[in-house]
Amino acid sequence: MATTEGQLDGKDGGGEPQIGWRHTFQQVKGDPTARFGLYVIAIATSIAVFSAVDANLSRATMGVYPDYTIGEWLPVLENPERMPPPTEMEPYQPPVFAEGGSWANPLGTDQAGRDYLSRIIYGARVSMAVGFFATFLGLTGGVLIGAVAGYYGGRIDDVLMRFVEIIYSIPALVLVIVFTVFVSGGNPDVIYAVLGVGIATIPVFSRIIRSRVLSVREMDYIEAARAAGVKDRNIIRRHVIPNSFAPVLVYATLQIGFAILIVAGLSFLGYGAQPPTPDWGQMLNHAHGQMHVNPWMSIWPGVAILITIMGFNLFGDGLQDALDPRIDN
Amino acid sequence: MTLLRYTISRFVQAIPVLIGISFITFVMVNALPGDPVAIMLEGQEVDRETIEAVERRYGLDRPFHERFVTYMLGLVQGDLGYSFHRDMPVSQLMWIRLGPTLMLVFSAFVFALVTAVPLGVLAAKRRNEPTDHVSRLVALVGVSTPSFWIGIMLILIFAVWLGWLPSGRLVYPWRDPAHYGFDGRLELYYQTIRHLLLPMVALGTLQMATIMRIERSSMVESLQEDYVQLARAYGVPERTILRKHAFRAAQLPIITIVGLNLSTALGGAVLIETVFEINGMGRLLIQSIQQLDYQVVMGVTIVLATIFVIGVIITDISYAYVDPRVSYGDRE
Repeated sequence: MATTEGQLDGKDGGGEPQIGWRHTFQQVKGDPTARFGLYVIAIATSIAVFSAVDANLSRATMGVYPDYTIGEWLPVLENPERMPPPTEMEPYQPPVFAEGGSWANPLGTDQAGRDYLSRIIYGARVSMAVGFFATFLGLTGGVLIGAVAGYYGGRIDDVLMRFVEIIYSIPALVLVIVFTVFVSGGNPDVIYAVLGVGIATIPVFSRIIRSRVLSVREMDYIEAARAAGVKDRNIIRRHVIPNSFAPVLVYATLQIGFAILIVAGLSFLGYGAQPPTPDWGQMLNHAHGQMHVNPWMSIWPGVAILITIMGFNLFGDGLQDALDPRIDN
Repeated sequence: MTLLRYTISRFVQAIPVLIGISFITFVMVNALPGDPVAIMLEGQEVDRETIEAVERRYGLDRPFHERFVTYMLGLVQGDLGYSFHRDMPVSQLMWIRLGPTLMLVFSAFVFALVTAVPLGVLAAKRRNEPTDHVSRLVALVGVSTPSFWIGIMLILIFAVWLGWLPSGRLVYPWRDPAHYGFDGRLELYYQTIRHLLLPMVALGTLQMATIMRIERSSMVESLQEDYVQLARAYGVPERTILRKHAFRAAQLPIITIVGLNLSTALGGAVLIETVFEINGMGRLLIQSIQQLDYQVVMGVTIVLATIFVIGVIITDISYAYVDPRVSYGDRE
């Protein structure tokens, strides 16, 4: 039986419809708005990844030490006796274009005197990490549930989709808040936020993939594989899921934006990333209380969220247009 | 199947979902380690006996499944438990808090529909013209912006800087005008609108953007239909085509999207109520979470989910009512 299986999932694809990835890529490349979205994603991702080894971490998280780059920091860290005394930084410095602002802190400083611009740049890390990991989690869970439900149908389908419907019925933000606070035992953190958002996004993915699987499972090559005695598990893994995946991918892109939006809300309420980790939602939480005194604090974290999510939406829309055969570009 | 039977069957189908919602909420909230009574009585001088007495009173000394069954039996009778912190039944608390949330969510949808439908139609009519591009940009920004940040920005601009509108709290039209010190009904309604304006826009922007996108693509599709082409060939004026032929059919997806978006709107209400200090369900949820008043947290979660389930059923039914092509049988 192993040989039959091997032949069926061979490189030729057994006559399966091929998704034109190259074609898709070309289309996205030719779409200026999608390209712009991709640039935004690329910039945000590289900030998130590389700011880990870049300068000014101290300025962003602690704010009491001089702004050394990592190259200057390492020798200091290795020789604690050379550790400089903390320099007091002025809290609530206005941004450079306001009266009393300076280029030292272009967007001013926060309640602990930390550089606001550095914190906004570092805020990308939490948002991007949560966006990617939560979506990945929701996608994995959703694809598994949706594929199994669609492939087997009947009782299994009923039970799984009911479960999905239940999760879907609790407003995502409410589900994530309750999950984060209570399952974490009253000590909410990003990891619970990721889990919560992941669970909250399962329904969308499982519904999309299920509806695709319903048509894919009627295909001749699935019938052939079944006749050849390939195990159901392998059919689902090697044939059903890969051939139902395109719309899921589009949705995943849009869903990352949604995940970032949810986590921003969660952090704004104080249940996402905890201080001193820089996070946009959490910064807005503090800024909300400063609205009458330091109104400028409310502006930048929101702009950062807006631009990042817009990047994912633009790219996702472009991807959708490219994969949708009805739209002719 | 008649519409009535379809309606009944939809409600019957919702029962297991509602039970499931209650179960999941119950499990999540009870996952909290630590004794809720101990947390409640923290900082007070209490002996072991008092704690046990309180536990017995709220049934906390019994095993998990027994508590769930008791809770469900209460739920069926409209008993949502008892708030430790506020010292009143959760259901009573819910009645007070439901009004503001429903008013907020409803007005947000009215705002969204009133702005999005005409803009979406206009964008579809002037496809690929500047009007279209502008409206698409507005929609894009709308779906990408956190509602609570829009709320903060609106407060900054219209309340802090310009001073035109109040920065928070609502005025409820069902209250006695004297309660607020207003002269009469008219002023009460005027103040209601003034207070509602900013939170309504903040919560409604996301809905507006989503509906506008759907409206545009739906209208574009509808304008390419054969019967529209035929009407054009007969020389029916474009305005009539738009209003009579293309528009009606294009509204069906909107009904569905309003129902499904109720979920994001209810979730968004939690944030908007916090930003604008509105004492609705969402703010109650956040306050109760801070106080670990877990019966209230369960109650709010279940009620919000139930509102969503009912909302979807209503949209499903109105969809079936509006579209004669819908069969009430198995809809796949």
